[in-house]
Amino acid sequence: MKLRKLLSLLLAGAMVFSLASCQGQETVTNNESEAASSDTASSEAESTEPTENQLIIGTITQMESEFYDPSFSNAATNYQMYDLLHGYTTVTATKEGEYEYDPTVVASHEETENEDGTKTYTVTINDGLVWSDGTPITAKDYVFAVLLESSPEMAEIGYPSQAGYSLVGYDEYLEGSTENFAGVHLVDDMTYSLTVKASELPYHYDITYASLWPRPMHVIAPDADVEESEAGAAITGDFTSELLETTVNDPETGYRAHPSVVSGPYTLESFDVSAQQAVFKINPEYAGDYRGVKPSIETLIVKLVSSDTMMNELEAGTVDLLVETSGADNIEAGLNLADAGTVNYNTYYRNGYGKIAFDCSQFPTDSKNVRQAIAYCLDRNEFVRQYTGGYGTVVHSYYGLAQWEYEESKDWINENLNTYEPNVDKAIELLEADGWTLGEDGQPYSGTGLRYKEVDGELKPLVIEWANTDGNPVSTLLATMLPESMEAAGMQLNATTMDFPTLQNAMLHASDKIYNMYNLATGFALASSPWYYYSKDPVWMQGGYNSNWIADDELDAVTQEMKSIPFDDRETWLTDWREFIKLWNDRLPDIPLYSDEYYDFFAPKLQNWDATPVWSWTRAVLDASVE
Amino acid sequence: MGKGRYLLKRLLYIVFVFFIISILMFFIYKSMPGDPVDAMLGSLKTTMRPDAYQDLYNRTAERLGVNEPLPVQYIKWIASMLTGNFGYSTQYQRQVIDVIGAPMLNTILLNVFTMVVVFVISIPLGIVTAVRKNGVFDKTVQVVTIIGYSLPSFIIALLAIFAFAVKIPLFPISGVRSAGADAGGLQGMLDMVWHMTLPVLVMSVSGIGGITRYVRASMIDVLRMDYIKTARAKGLREKTVIYVHAFRNALIPIVTITTWWIIGLFGGSVVIESVFLWNGLGKMLIDGLMNRDFSIVLTMQMFYVLLSLAGNVLMDIAYTIVDPRVRLEN
Repeated sequence: MKLRKLLSLLLAGAMVFSLASCQGQETVTNNESEAASSDTASSEAESTEPTENQLIIGTITQMESEFYDPSFSNAATNYQMYDLLHGYTTVTATKEGEYEYDPTVVASHEETENEDGTKTYTVTINDGLVWSDGTPITAKDYVFAVLLESSPEMAEIGYPSQAGYSLVGYDEYLEGSTENFAGVHLVDDMTYSLTVKASELPYHYDITYASLWPRPMHVIAPDADVEESEAGAAITGDFTSELLETTVNDPETGYRAHPSVVSGPYTLESFDVSAQQAVFKINPEYAGDYRGVKPSIETLIVKLVSSDTMMNELEAGTVDLLVETSGADNIEAGLNLADAGTVNYNTYYRNGYGKIAFDCSQFPTDSKNVRQAIAYCLDRNEFVRQYTGGYGTVVHSYYGLAQWEYEESKDWINENLNTYEPNVDKAIELLEADGWTLGEDGQPYSGTGLRYKEVDGELKPLVIEWANTDGNPVSTLLATMLPESMEAAGMQLNATTMDFPTLQNAMLHASDKIYNMYNLATGFALASSPWYYYSKDPVWMQGGYNSNWIADDELDAVTQEMKSIPFDDRETWLTDWREFIKLWNDRLPDIPLYSDEYYDFFAPKLQNWDATPVWSWTRAVLDASVE
Repeated sequence: MGKGRYLLKRLLYIVFVFFIISILMFFIYKSMPGDPVDAMLGSLKTTMRPDAYQDLYNRTAERLGVNEPLPVQYIKWIASMLTGNFGYSTQYQRQVIDVIGAPMLNTILLNVFTMVVVFVISIPLGIVTAVRKNGVFDKTVQVVTIIGYSLPSFIIALLAIFAFAVKIPLFPISGVRSAGADAGGLQGMLDMVWHMTLPVLVMSVSGIGGITRYVRASMIDVLRMDYIKTARAKGLREKTVIYVHAFRNALIPIVTITTWWIIGLFGGSVVIESVFLWNGLGKMLIDGLMNRDFSIVLTMQMFYVLLSLAGNVLMDIAYTIVDPRVRLEN
């Protein structure tokens, strides 16, 4: 390597006189001794050679100096890295995609249904859990977290402060009319209780109401305390937005950028925003995940790679792991490396899909028949073949391929859902049944040209306004596959290309022009909540949840019913879920286009790699080792 | 009109133009479709209850001041900007000054090295090709520089990566430094220079192509002049004729392009930054636009405006230095 560097230096001989300026690059570090030593002459002895027990993970999305939670930044890679740093959540998602109390954290728990319709969750945490600096973790740290992240002080520094939204007394606490949070109690040193509003119950995922996570009060508010009273828990002492500006927000010292004390499997060693690299070291104090599993890989380095060259980086050994690789070119390059024995791989389907999303409040896509007719005009199997190069599959309704409901319903889906095989005649039949039987002159449709329909005495053409984003291969492919068959059915597709914020504005009905359809992608959270996404209540439409703006009585009714099914009543849930996806498949607010096949490619030194759509790399890395 | 008065006039002109452009930029960007508050809050829209989101939206909009009339927003923005407060980045949720430093330094480093490589190679090359006009060497350089000048930089970049990072792995494929490498110390600096070499070479190709041809043309014009013939007739050495008499007189057009290069030091290249993952200003500007992060975009744009205006004055001053016949008052 030194020889290569020498060569590079010779080739760039003119560069050397400016070397000193390179020293201005700043690396964020939580290790004070290291930070100090980097400024000394001894830094010459520092090595850029990799240490042995480390894993370099390539990511194609930019990282930010944000390590708090998604409320401050939802940058994709940061989102995943939070899991490495922040652990000991009392309710956790298991590898099987279920929610359960984490036995490593929770000693006992109790749920009490109150007479006023509220429900109280009392949780006792295990003794012996400690922060990465050795400070014991107690129930105070959990109560502090919910008080902090619901507080007006935190809201003042730009945080949503919605952690306690479902709890009794949240509104008064956030407004600042009381310092006590009525629904939160510090029962004893190791026990807290949360009381959920009656209006938030019943709820299918109600176990998540009991979930809290600790925040290091001794770091974020060192001179504050949590005090219990009948009126609820409160933060006392020095706790102001000015303090939080320093301890949380300060880019040099704040917890957002420098989470110096953490509870997760790793600690943040350094983050170099300039080089786009984050270095994590094992947290020796970590007690394990819900299975008691602790990490064995000493150092994790997350670095930015380009999708164009990431396979070259893997081959060259400058990265060891590429997760969720999609697209035929990269997958085939990776498989070639695997054939040559250079890398190993793991594959799984994405828990989501790319789609055409209809705006069901706009003419003419407010008609189910029109939406279905468009679906019949598209050969989705061919679309998937061309778009994913064979590394993807077609889904037919609102489900992800990693959902347990899908796993248990594969045969049922094949038998009961309409697959909308391409059929222009069927499209024509649907359009004629919907009244699209006239030509431009108001006479019966001649069989060619644009179809018209008389609406309130006015002749309206069957024109579909489509908004898409620039440089999107899905848009390009749709633009070649859809217009011809739609034209054959008597429809006209008008495409408008724009950037994503403009498209988003149109979808939210916040722009002058609203379109009939958009192409987007969607992913399924573990707590999938269709009762919000298909609610008739305009609040959920304006709020961006029901982005299809569909107001369908049956769809609304079946999803609202699902919301109240108890979490452990899987049979009723599955029955209702099937009813929902069958209804959805008929109403067709979206046309699902493709569900990618993801590949994790990794160097042979990485052992026991078992990531899945619901078990991300940040959790799989705990089981993995490096040889 | 004296030199001082001329410079004062130009300074006033800069201030006037700066304010006019700031008004235009501000209103153009603010009229773009897309909501910066929505962009800032991102996925919270679909993770928060609609009423809670609306409360948060209102609070955030008030904090950012986007609810106020545009003229009021402009006055507040320009007043803050002139006092060194460049605003709050909705994309990074930090003060602009806190996020712009690292990419700016990366961009400057890359461009300084590129400029040095380009000028060290292209000026002597331009002079030599002018002196040996229509010779084999000149024709060869003409062809090579045309190719270098014409090829899109992303193609050169990908070819360079394939050749010098994949097939002959002399240089790293991408990035600013090796994974896990420390930023400080001599080793860290060497590591950074090693990472910088390939992007610098790629960026230099088109620069060398362009400037070599520029210097050559300028030198050919000067070498035709009578005073060059006189110098030769006086028996001066050829090196003195070319480097002292001819090159100095060919400097004016070179000063022009040098000034623009220096101004360009602060301008990032989206293509190079994306291909080599060099975290610089070009990508930051595009990301800022895509995320409606107007504080970042306006800060960068106004910085470029100021640089361009100041660059023009500096260019005028430089003309007087390289050619005493040029007078600022003229």
